[in-house]
Order: sequence, then structure tokens, then C-alpha cells
Amino acid sequence: MINKLLTPKNLRNLIIILVVAGVLFLAISGYLTPVFSFSVSPLISAQSWLSQRYLAFSDFFNSPRDMATLRAQNAQLEIEVAMLQSEIVALQENLAQSDILYTLLDFARTNPEHEYVAATVIGREISPFLQYIIIDKGSNDGLRHGMPVVTQQGLVGRIDALISDAARIQLITDANSTVNVKLQTAGVEGLVRGSVTGEITLDMVPVDTDAQIGDILMTSGLGGTYPPNIFVGQVLTMQSKQNVLFQTGSVQPVVDFSNLSAVLVITNFDSVDISPLVP
Amino acid sequence: MWSYLIGFAGFLLTAVLQMSVFSQWKILSGSADIVLLFVIAWCLQDRSKRLWLLVILMAGIAGTVSALPAYIPIIVYLVVYRVSRLVQSRLMQSPLLGMLVVTFGATLLQVFLNLAYLFVTRVELNFSDALVEVALPSVLLNMLLAIPVHAIVREIAHYAFPKGVEA
Repeated sequence: MINKLLTPKNLRNLIIILVVAGVLFLAISGYLTPVFSFSVSPLISAQSWLSQRYLAFSDFFNSPRDMATLRAQNAQLEIEVAMLQSEIVALQENLAQSDILYTLLDFARTNPEHEYVAATVIGREISPFLQYIIIDKGSNDGLRHGMPVVTQQGLVGRIDALISDAARIQLITDANSTVNVKLQTAGVEGLVRGSVTGEITLDMVPVDTDAQIGDILMTSGLGGTYPPNIFVGQVLTMQSKQNVLFQTGSVQPVVDFSNLSAVLVITNFDSVDISPLVP
Repeated sequence: MWSYLIGFAGFLLTAVLQMSVFSQWKILSGSADIVLLFVIAWCLQDRSKRLWLLVILMAGIAGTVSALPAYIPIIVYLVVYRVSRLVQSRLMQSPLLGMLVVTFGATLLQVFLNLAYLFVTRVELNFSDALVEVALPSVLLNMLLAIPVHAIVREIAHYAFPKGVEA
């Protein structure tokens, strides 16, 4: 029976099976790892060398095409970035303009006794000796000569000349401008004058008045040029010389005239021209 | 005719730039007057016989836009025109020097006429403040800007007045 089973053919198969099973056992149990490593590492080296050469070869032929695509995409993205940046600038400008207009609207709501026309400042006087601005509203918008101009902060000036779609405003800082004011705390009246340098001064304050630094100046309405109770500025300094009838002082205007961008024109105030009555 | 149109368009452009941009560039209280600088530079380049007509038109527009009386720009611009003709004939080889000389003289004349006008209209003037804070900074700015304005107008003049052609 055994002799029948142990034929040379079966014996050879049995040996092969035992060898394979032994090798598998050794491999699974980790005894063959150094052998594998030693035999596989040259293959890995060869593989990586070949792979690197192939990639270099492939890049050499494909990269120009990719660069061209990348450049086109980059140019397109740069255009989009530029467009978005210009949009951001425009939106920021709109936002700033809206803020100013909202503030002017608030001012108009809190001062309902007047009717207003909002206007944008579009230019300034050519001569450095004069203080004027040009706005984008004119007689077509109901504006007339002499109408007072304000911002949410206070008095700006009055309309000096106008055409159909634009008007020139004489600022209260102009050398030819005078505004009748009252000192809120001292309770007396005075005159605010402009100058060629754009500064404003307080004049015609009686010498016996106790005018305080920081006293608020409002329009008095005298003279008929401006409506009463519009904020003009604050007293900075006062000077009283001997043997003079009036005190003078420097005034800090409430309006920042160097950054005027939008104004309100009071349209329901008719200024009175008293110049024919002046001797 | 073409040169008059270019000159007039250039004048309008500088007037817009002056009112919107350059009037806000200040040293103390003085500012540059690039409208005057353009008129000077154009008068130094243009040899047309009827340039004075264009100069009067420019002065009329400047007088209308400005709060100053119209006769002040008319006087200043006509003096600029006359002096430019003299400079053209005497300082042919150094046009930039001519530009600077005319700019200095014209700015001083304009300052003088401005102050005279304010004095005549009984404005209370502090002459030292007007001189130190307005007049001198304005002269300085005009002298500084005269060089680039001259260069730009000269380039434009190459197109307006081809060599050898006189209007």
C-alpha cells in the first residue's frame, strides 16, 4: 500500500509541497525578510531610477503645453483680480458717499424747518486768494443767488453765482465773506470774517463782554444773509487791546473746508440784499 | 485751425484738472495755477499770428469760472502772450529758461493783481500773511510745475505744429 503511494512522481510532488509550505511559513513568520530586502532593493533602485528618468522625459515634452495653459489662466486671473479690485474701490467710494448723504439726510430730518437740495462738490476756485467751491446743482434744481449752504456740521457759505447745472459757493472763509453771529454763552453778537489764508476771525464783540474760549458761535440772522441758529464754529482765542471799542478773536470753524464733498443748499430762505442801504 | 482746436482743448482739460485736483494741492494756503502754466507754455510754442484771439477766449473762460473779475485773467494772459513773443525771439535756444522766466513774472503779476483787487474791494488784508502764506507758496508751486507742464505742452506742440508749417 505504502509502496503504491510513494511512487517517484508523488514523492516529488510531496517534496515540492513541503518546500513551498516551508518557504511560505518562513516568509510569514518573517525569517525571510532580510533575504527579500537584499534581493528587492536593487529592483527598487532600478525602478526609481527609471521612473525619474521617465518623469523628466515626460516633463520635457509636456511642460511647454502646461506652461502656456498656466500662463493663460494666470493672465485671466490677473484680469479678474484687477476687475474685482476696481469694483472694491468703486464700492468703497459709493459707501463713503452714502455715509455722507445719510448724515446729510439725518441733518435735514432733524432740522425740518428748512427745505434742502443736496449737491456734490465738483470743483474749487482757481485763485488761491479766494475761497469758493463749485457744486453740481444749479438754477434747474431750484437754486437761486444768495441761498445759504450748510453741511451736517454747520454753515458753509452762500451761492455767489450759478448757471443751469452748476453753482459757485462763496465759503465763509473767503476774504470777502462776513457772517453775523451770536456767542451762545456770552449772549452777545459779533461778526465772523474770512481771510485770504482761509482762516476765520471773530470781530465786533463789545469790549466789556466776557467772551470765553470754547464759546459756540451760531448765526444770528442779522443782515438777512443767513438764517439764524446755524452752527459756525468755536472761539479759539480772544484779544482785547486798550483804547479799542471791540474785541477780536480767532475761530475754529466746525466745517472741514478742505474735505468738503457734499453740501445742502437751503432753498426756502430768501436772503435780503441790504447793500443799497449801506452808506 | 487745427492748432487752435488743440490749444483750446488743452486749455479746457487743464481748467478741469485745476479745479478738481490742483486747487487742493496746497503749500500753506498757496496753490499752483496750471491753467496759467498751460497758457504760458502754449504761447511759447505757438507762433500763429492770431494766437491772441485764442488767448482772449481762454482768459474769458478763466474769468467766468473764477470768482475773480474777468479783466484780471485777460490782463495777465495778454501780458503773457506779449512777453512770450519777446522771449521766443530772444531766448530761442533755451525754451525752458523762457518758460521759467515767464512763469515767475506772470505769477507775480497775477498775485499783484489779486491783491490789488482785494484791496480795492475794501477787504481787510494782512499783507504779510498774504505774501508768506499764499503768494510765495503759489510762486514756488508754479515754478516747480512749470517744468513738467512745459515738457508735456512741447510734446503736444510737435503734433499741433509740424516743423516748417506756420498757421
